[in-house]
Amino acid sequence: MTAERQMELTLPMVPDIEIAAARAAANLARELGMASESIDEMAHALIEACINAREHSGSADRRIYVRIVGTSLAEGNSRVDIWISDHGKGFNVTEARSRRQKLGAVHKRGWGLQIIEAHMDEVDISTNADGTTIHMVKYGRLEEPTGSVAR
Amino acid sequence: MGEIMTDELRVAVDRRGTNGAVLYTKGYINNVGGEEIANRAYELMDDGVRSLLLNLRETKIVNSIGISILIEIIEKMIDKGGRIGFCCLTPVIHKTFQIMGLANYASIFTDEDGAIQEMAL
Repeated sequence: MTAERQMELTLPMVPDIEIAAARAAANLARELGMASESIDEMAHALIEACINAREHSGSADRRIYVRIVGTSLAEGNSRVDIWISDHGKGFNVTEARSRRQKLGAVHKRGWGLQIIEAHMDEVDISTNADGTTIHMVKYGRLEEPTGSVAR
Repeated sequence: MGEIMTDELRVAVDRRGTNGAVLYTKGYINNVGGEEIANRAYELMDDGVRSLLLNLRETKIVNSIGISILIEIIEKMIDKGGRIGFCCLTPVIHKTFQIMGLANYASIFTDEDGAIQEMAL
């Protein structure tokens, strides 16, 4: 297994910056031939991870650190690893995972982690008082030749 | 993903009869986009609309904050005895709606024609 594509981004915590990260990851995954639906799932997870960092980390440097590694696997499959890090205050993963809001609930927000875990194949969270890193993995099959990847 | 737009969400409305409407969105449904949809939806509700279809054909990206605002719109419509439907969702947006439970309280349709027929718009 050889890493074929790699990039690192340092992003300011400003509105809609998550789109820049999602676009970068999507371009890398597209170069690997990943199917468009897998790319879209990965992009939505990445967007939520960036929003969580921006909205909840409380980091002093107001930066999101993104590392993306794309790897070609056997039989046309591919794998994209993404690390989203911040230097914030960390959070309680168990509490975040236990949230299951319902219609009419006071808190309609806080769905980011559930969305990330549903859209990605593997998610690992390291968090403490010095910051948080979410490592997430998406496996993708090769895009069908007749497929229409949005460009 | 190549169709992601960071411009403000655009919304268009097609009134259908006295109590129906189709609301078309174009762009990213984030907090700002969600509020734009909510403003238009509440205007329509105040004007008597009780059957509202949101056509998301030209929306490729949503986030959880935007969806939470859509849920608030659904709640308000249910309180008024009305109904909200969604159509033309990408597979990922459909999946995200299901994760957040939105699909339990609003109707999801594959295409606009089927939605209009089912919702009698």
